[in-house]
Amino acid sequence: MDYTISSIAPIVLLPFFAFAINAFIVKRFTKLAVFISCAAILGSFGFAYNIFCDFMTVYSADYHIHKTFNWFNLSHGNLNFKVDMGIYIDNMSAVMLLMVTGAASLIHIFSTYYMKEDVRYGRFFVYLSLFTSAMLGLVLSDNLLSVFIFWELMGFCSYSLIGFYYEKEGAGNASIKAFMTTRVGDVFFLFGILAIWSIVGNVTFVDIYKTIAAGGFDGAMALGIPLATVAAFSIFMGTVGKSAQVPLQVWLPDAMWGPTPCSALIHAATMVAAGVYLSLRCYPLMEVGNLTTAIAYIGGITAFGAATIALVQTDIKAVLAYSTISQLGYMVLGVGVGSYNAAFMHLITHAVFKACLFLSAGSVIHSLHDHHTHGHVQEMPRMGGLRKKMPYTFIAMLLCTFAIAGVPLFSGFVSKDRILGDALLAAGYSKSFIIPAALGFGGALLTAFYMFRMMFLTFFGEPRDKELYDHTKEEKISWNRNVPLLILAVFTLGVFYSGSLTGQKIVKVFPKDSIEWFKTLIVEPKVEKFQNYQSEPFAWTDTRNKTRFERTKYDPTYGLPQEEYDHVHHVHLIGAGMSVLIVILGVGMAAMMYLLRLWNPGWWVNTFARFYRALQNKYYFDDMYVKGLIKKGLLPLNNLLAAIDMGIYDRYAIDGWQYVVRKIYLVSKWFDNIMVDTVAVDGTGASVRLMNIVLRTLQSGRVQFYFIIIIFLLTFSSYIFNQNF
Amino acid sequence: MVTLGSYLFLSFALFVAGLAVIIARKNIIAMLLGIELMLNAAALNFVAYTRFVNSNIDGHIMALFIIVIAAAEAAVGLAIVIRFFQLRESIHIDDAAQLQN
Repeated sequence: MDYTISSIAPIVLLPFFAFAINAFIVKRFTKLAVFISCAAILGSFGFAYNIFCDFMTVYSADYHIHKTFNWFNLSHGNLNFKVDMGIYIDNMSAVMLLMVTGAASLIHIFSTYYMKEDVRYGRFFVYLSLFTSAMLGLVLSDNLLSVFIFWELMGFCSYSLIGFYYEKEGAGNASIKAFMTTRVGDVFFLFGILAIWSIVGNVTFVDIYKTIAAGGFDGAMALGIPLATVAAFSIFMGTVGKSAQVPLQVWLPDAMWGPTPCSALIHAATMVAAGVYLSLRCYPLMEVGNLTTAIAYIGGITAFGAATIALVQTDIKAVLAYSTISQLGYMVLGVGVGSYNAAFMHLITHAVFKACLFLSAGSVIHSLHDHHTHGHVQEMPRMGGLRKKMPYTFIAMLLCTFAIAGVPLFSGFVSKDRILGDALLAAGYSKSFIIPAALGFGGALLTAFYMFRMMFLTFFGEPRDKELYDHTKEEKISWNRNVPLLILAVFTLGVFYSGSLTGQKIVKVFPKDSIEWFKTLIVEPKVEKFQNYQSEPFAWTDTRNKTRFERTKYDPTYGLPQEEYDHVHHVHLIGAGMSVLIVILGVGMAAMMYLLRLWNPGWWVNTFARFYRALQNKYYFDDMYVKGLIKKGLLPLNNLLAAIDMGIYDRYAIDGWQYVVRKIYLVSKWFDNIMVDTVAVDGTGASVRLMNIVLRTLQSGRVQFYFIIIIFLLTFSSYIFNQNF
Repeated sequence: MVTLGSYLFLSFALFVAGLAVIIARKNIIAMLLGIELMLNAAALNFVAYTRFVNSNIDGHIMALFIIVIAAAEAAVGLAIVIRFFQLRESIHIDDAAQLQN
């Protein structure tokens, strides 16, 4: 396919134009606005699918499209300040594009069901369109600056959609909390861009790789720390904020105040994954900055900690929110242990099954209508036995739960197990990775447990709130409620991502090479590859000979020597075995507690009361931030600054001016009265009058008097001239 | 011995006499006469200088011009005086003081 501006730009521009048009017509033509939004995202999906197909046809790990244009150029003399914008599509972007547009299309369709009765039905789609276009722009970006622009746009959409039900105080507070918390990470991110700019002189990913390959970061220091570490840390802090990693994870659970489809799109599938996507794009930088161990720790702690909190949540969306944080922790763990491909695979698989889980939860919540409070019910203690009422939602949600819990043959198992296998491998090489790996496996156990707990509490057993259950309508299959769920549920099967279904060679169910497309095509960016690399001008039609890119063959050993590969394979097999055991254990425990009711959950709560309270309070992170950081740290600082502002700046600098101005006023008043009015204005008149008297006297009209003056002047002047000459 | 100084003294005497007449007398016709005296003093100067300093006839020509101009001036002046007399019934110079102040 020849790539021109018209085959790439519509991916971003269609949703953006939908946003721009809908922003004006949404109040009067709500239905038309919704139609435009859905049509735009479906169109985007078409273009993205086209690109994806092209990448699959070429089937080369090196295939990429990079087009740039000059955004602005302030170069002058030796000062070089030039910013290029452009698009960079490689296999990773192509897969990401397909995932984002696909998930967004299905979520748009589901929203036509979920938001139908909402008073701000149309406005929801306006935000969705803007968000989708920002996310797609981020995926297409070839440099950190435009990534940052789209990043902030997404942050704004997230803020607006969390506070969508702004009548509720909690929603408003949650939106502010989300915005401010991610802002902490964003400030670091911006700082990281500046740090990179200071070395590279550009922020294009390719130029960063080139500089790393040329050793540009060697020896560069900032405040005694290697600059590469500073830059990598700052950019990773952006990931921490956006992907809700410890310690900035507090915003994501509160983000569940937003409508459920927006939680599915923004806070599960795309925006939070964008943080991980950024880390993957900057992966060589993280390696150069020696940050991988720290990243692995952050990921491991997040994966385990969030999973423990999810154990005690009773709100169905809160469980999913914490599981999202936990799964994002796995991706970050994958980045940390160097399992680039698996981290990205987990990003994609997680986006699919988590979007489906959220939509299913939305489908459940929407059906449960409380006639006393006229609100929807999200509390799991009031559900139970719903599988008879809504079988299609149940099927979709069950498949996704299998995937997220890591049941073999499902996508979640493939990707998570590959991350955990790599973590185990890294732990074998270096002792510092033992703790992240252990946390990862522990988190997997908890994930299986709490996801099945959620399933059992929601769909199995006897209905606990009989009145609510009886009022719930029987689910009939409908195109905008169940079809998106079922489509997403189909893609939770592992066969779409890998043929091995457990991530291992030995347990290959489909031994065809072409089914391993994901592992073959998405490779870690080796910086040496980018050294002789040129981008193309934007307006140029891409007529490159595709044969330049060799078709990549699937290599089951990943280029490792046989002996080393045997070791890797061995470790991965151990990891896979542990994962299977963990799933059985986790599901079994959940079944014992909530399905068969042989164990009483209350016993666990009483025995570990302190731990339970800590979990209920989310490890006191919110308390720590509010009571500790804000009340003890920022509020006194704020008061101090206010005191400086009011007491010193206002009193002396502002009110002090009054004193100075008053003095200046007195001086200038005196000057005005005496000098200007009396001397200059009246003085002019007086002198004119004086001259008038003199000249009038001279002008006597007597000719003989004039003669006397003439003679006198002639005599006088002749005397003067005689003196001088 | 008649020298240049004698002529210049005579010319000066004539000029001062004319000036005195102009300043002192209030009769316009008398003032015109004073002007004639001053013009003649100037003409005498020209002739004297041309006689004693260089020996061409430029001074004589100038004297002739002055005589002509004096005649013309006297004619114009007398005409003005006549018109003035017709208006004011007077030839007193202080009556021609409309431009004062």
